[in-house]
Amino acid sequence: MLRVLKPGLQSSLQGPPRFGARQYGIPYAGPADSVSMALANRLVGNQPSQTALEITYGGFSALVEADCAIAIAGANDQALVSGQTAPSHQTLHVKAGEEVQLPPVARGARTYLAIRSGFQADELFGSSSTYMPAGFGGVSGRALKDGDQLIPIGNGTSALTLETPAGLKPVFTHNFALRSTPSAEVVALSDAARETLFSESFTVGRQATRMGLPLTGHTLELETDGLMKSAPVFPGTIQCPASGDPIILLCDAQTTGGYPRIATIARCDRHVLGQIRPGDRVTLLERSPEDAAKALEQKEALLKTWLDTPQSGHAFQLY
Amino acid sequence: MPADLVLERIGDDLIEFRVDSPSAARSLAQQLRDHEIGEDVVAGLARVTVRFHPRDAASISARIHDAVRTPKPDTQTIPVQHIDVHYGGDEGPDLRGICDTLGLSQQAFIDLHTSQTHTVEMMGFTPGFAYISGLPDGLEIPRLADPRPRVPTGSVGISAAFTGLYALAGPGGWPLIGRTQASLFSPERTQPFLLSPGQPVKFRSV
Repeated sequence: MLRVLKPGLQSSLQGPPRFGARQYGIPYAGPADSVSMALANRLVGNQPSQTALEITYGGFSALVEADCAIAIAGANDQALVSGQTAPSHQTLHVKAGEEVQLPPVARGARTYLAIRSGFQADELFGSSSTYMPAGFGGVSGRALKDGDQLIPIGNGTSALTLETPAGLKPVFTHNFALRSTPSAEVVALSDAARETLFSESFTVGRQATRMGLPLTGHTLELETDGLMKSAPVFPGTIQCPASGDPIILLCDAQTTGGYPRIATIARCDRHVLGQIRPGDRVTLLERSPEDAAKALEQKEALLKTWLDTPQSGHAFQLY
Repeated sequence: MPADLVLERIGDDLIEFRVDSPSAARSLAQQLRDHEIGEDVVAGLARVTVRFHPRDAASISARIHDAVRTPKPDTQTIPVQHIDVHYGGDEGPDLRGICDTLGLSQQAFIDLHTSQTHTVEMMGFTPGFAYISGLPDGLEIPRLADPRPRVPTGSVGISAAFTGLYALAGPGGWPLIGRTQASLFSPERTQPFLLSPGQPVKFRSV
């Protein structure tokens, strides 16, 4: 059991995406970086999507109120437990009275703190994930505040100490190259704009949220008026409004949108979106759907060597 | 169903086709869900998009074609939902301007809006936001040039030929004609949404 002392810029409980309710306008939500959350959960013997804490830019601390097994993975490469350095990507057995701190991070954006058996949380449409704009899931549908008590579903302790295999520990920089495919309205771009989209490096704007990452630095020329009938959009969809500054949609993406959908981040790289912060550089690598699917197969096979367990039903997959 | 259904891959895990009406999008999307096609099926106003795992890419097109070819009988009839609206005033600040544009009195507009049986064509954008058809052709109301940063829960707007119901407060660009006290979205209910896609709706002036 943990009590939040400092929530940092934005912390929330996230579990599985809320699949199957987009026809009611309900976004998926869930972790912005599903791989880091799965890695943290793995270290405490949980399923990949068990409810964990998503912490944005570090700057978080909590008091341990009952002994428990926790693990962190993502942007923070270390934690402090009562002032002593504790590594990420390893099961940490923390004792009542200790304080867990995650320092501010310089690279990457989000860190996941998992607890043995997962955290208790509100559920809607079969998911505990917090969707803050509408106020559901997690802790009363909101970002965590100091004083919030986070309680494990079962016994929070574990006898096992595990470590993520070295080859699976992600390293984040300020430059991201993301595989992507052209989407339905890529034809709305001029030839020059299309060339720019898939070759230039963009800078992520300041309004980077769980809903979307604005890309700045290269305004794209649209050959239409930029208006169309609302069409389905998903996490990974890249929209281009009339302003010409594209937006990559993330896990909290709305369900439909009226701007041209010019590209889609390939599923294999979508989890990385959760680690991109304002000022970072993003380059889109154009791929055919077939090549993107092959890259997904390879990445899933690699992750499955560690993340597929009897507890997860050997069913780990990227989304 | 459209005989000339053309599938377009718009991502490694997304495939979609165009339809000529929101009701066709809605019913074909439901047909695909009934056949458990892909991981998720979402209808837009003129498109249906299927999200699938790329490992199933080889079979997804054939499965979509098969599913739309063999519709399940539509046994489900959704009852009419009556929605009480307070038109105009502070709750519908754009009604006067809309009526001036259309050359209608406010009462004539309200009579027009309450006399029709409307249909929920799509829910989307934000949780529970309902795109409702039923306004007569020709009432092509443009969106606001400057969207409002915050539109209250229950607001009723119109844009093009659609009525829009804001189930949640949030930013919004639709001119507002009124507001309802009906509980459009309540996470605590077994059915969190008052409305569902395809449902007939009648508005009442209160």
